Amino acid sequence: MFRKFALLSVALGLGLMVACAVISPEASFAPTHPQALDPGRPTCSDCHGTDQVKSTRKTFASFNHTPEFVADHKLPANQDPATCAACHAPAFCADCHGGKTAMLPSTKLGDRPDRMMPHRTDYLTLHQIDGKIDPTGCYECHGRANNDKCSACH
Amino acid sequence: MKHRTHLVLLASLVTGTAWGMDVNATSTTFAQAWQQNRTGFSQSNYSPVTEYVAIDATGLGNPAISMHLYGWGLKDLGDPSSVYGKNTGDLTYGYLQYDFGRANAQLKAGRFTVNQGVGNELVDGVSARTDLRWGFAVSAFGGAPVVYKNNGPNQQSNIAYQHDVIFGGRLAWRAGKYGEIGVSALEDGSQPAYDLVPAQPVDYTRRQMGVDLRMMPVAWFDFSGRTVFDIADHPQPAPGVDNSRIAEHDYKATARLSEQASLTGTYVERNLFAYYAGSTLPTLFNQNEQGMFKATGASLTWNPKASLQVVADLRRTERAAYGDATRFGADLRWTFPDSHLLAGAGFHQVDAFSVVAVAPLVPAYSLSHNELRAWVMAQRGTLSASLDGILLHYADGPGNPELNGKSSESALVGSLGYQAKENLKVTGNLTLDDSPVNGRQVLGLVRVDYRFGSAAKGGK
Repeated sequence: MFRKFALLSVALGLGLMVACAVISPEASFAPTHPQALDPGRPTCSDCHGTDQVKSTRKTFASFNHTPEFVADHKLPANQDPATCAACHAPAFCADCHGGKTAMLPSTKLGDRPDRMMPHRTDYLTLHQIDGKIDPTGCYECHGRANNDKCSACH
Repeated sequence: MKHRTHLVLLASLVTGTAWGMDVNATSTTFAQAWQQNRTGFSQSNYSPVTEYVAIDATGLGNPAISMHLYGWGLKDLGDPSSVYGKNTGDLTYGYLQYDFGRANAQLKAGRFTVNQGVGNELVDGVSARTDLRWGFAVSAFGGAPVVYKNNGPNQQSNIAYQHDVIFGGRLAWRAGKYGEIGVSALEDGSQPAYDLVPAQPVDYTRRQMGVDLRMMPVAWFDFSGRTVFDIADHPQPAPGVDNSRIAEHDYKATARLSEQASLTGTYVERNLFAYYAGSTLPTLFNQNEQGMFKATGASLTWNPKASLQVVADLRRTERAAYGDATRFGADLRWTFPDSHLLAGAGFHQVDAFSVVAVAPLVPAYSLSHNELRAWVMAQRGTLSASLDGILLHYADGPGNPELNGKSSESALVGSLGYQAKENLKVTGNLTLDDSPVNGRQVLGLVRVDYRFGSAAKGGK
């Protein structure tokens, strides 16, 4: 018993030492953007040029909030969450991405038509058409959560 | 999570904020009112009041420890506006976070969103991530998936039982300035449906693996996307049924053509059996719909000057069980020179397939339609205003049994806001809506935002 415990302790200790040795020595990305940004979609490369975002090994330009980036930000948010977190509080993401929501994002932000909120208008009509054309688009948000209203009819 | 656990977590997290060196809290209250006269239903009068609370507290006894909480509660003063009854709410997330200060290393415990590789979940559990030497990064999470009670008791029981545990991880490598490639895996649920006694008809468990990548070999080119594989054990399918193991390909390439223009191409392929694995709503997202969904698209973004942006786009979709559709159009966005006014407009047309064999007496009807939208926002001193108009025209309104004989739909949303103090804003919205399903509606909404603390970030 003691022998097993000793072996396990040595293995864990060695594992921990190896783990510590392979952790990057670089400082973390800044938790907060040092300056207030102008309203609207930021173009990071306007100020940062062709610099790389520390630790991500990607250029600031790759985080420019272009229309394509705003429409499909899943992968950058997935790969580099610390970069998003420098400007966005977690609640910003929850405006749209919640497991159970009280109202449509477009209702909640009815005064912000500039944000590309899904389901503007009374979406009950259009969803019957969109859902037939591409149900996988619905699944991304309503497949495993946020589908209480769907279940009322479906 | 049980209500009692909710309360304990909520109380401990809120109490924790008292120790915070820097606490930012936002309260957003909504009061809504509208009447609904849907064809075939009795008239309903809705007047829900919803309160959202977001708290971010840093330096909880230690500069590296922070707490983040977001939740809401709703009370219906009129008819119930949700399937959960007249009083409902949710803790969207609530977790403690420890930041190590180097290597972007981070620990989380509580309820949080997992967003790593194939894992895109709300989890009650723990997660950890760190950058490693030589460009590697690793992350992992484990706990119980957040399950919502929105089904019948029997189905809900199966969902809850089969979603008993979730865990996963991702290993990534960042290759210099060229990009990143990640490999991830996820397991959700310990008992597949066929292992249960008695065996259940619907399997809510998942076992998936994914590869994600983003490559920027030159400054003007960006390629990204992911492939997800279904690696779960499944019973032998019926003869003639081919259940693909590739759940999804989702890729995008953008080429910057000049300082003013860029071109983007997209490709999506989803095999419904594998893609819908783990759905909690199998009656809608049905794995038995054999076949595939594919979409190819392109968009051209043109910024002739800094204040004007034009995006033209086209997307072709193919659904094996239904048919093909093409959506195309353009959007423009204009920032007026003094930056007090922002305006946009867009038009899109959808040429879609016809739905056949709805019922013996209902002829085929087309899903084609088009959409026109225009909006404007203005800000002057403490006052803000916006107007958003949308017009939809359905090509086969009279033929589509779901449109109640109507061919058009319109909505106009007007908003007025007053920034009473730096941390207090009151906004009123009025929506005039005329839709085939709900008919004419007038919807009112009052929103009150109140912020405590400095709100160093918020992503407005």
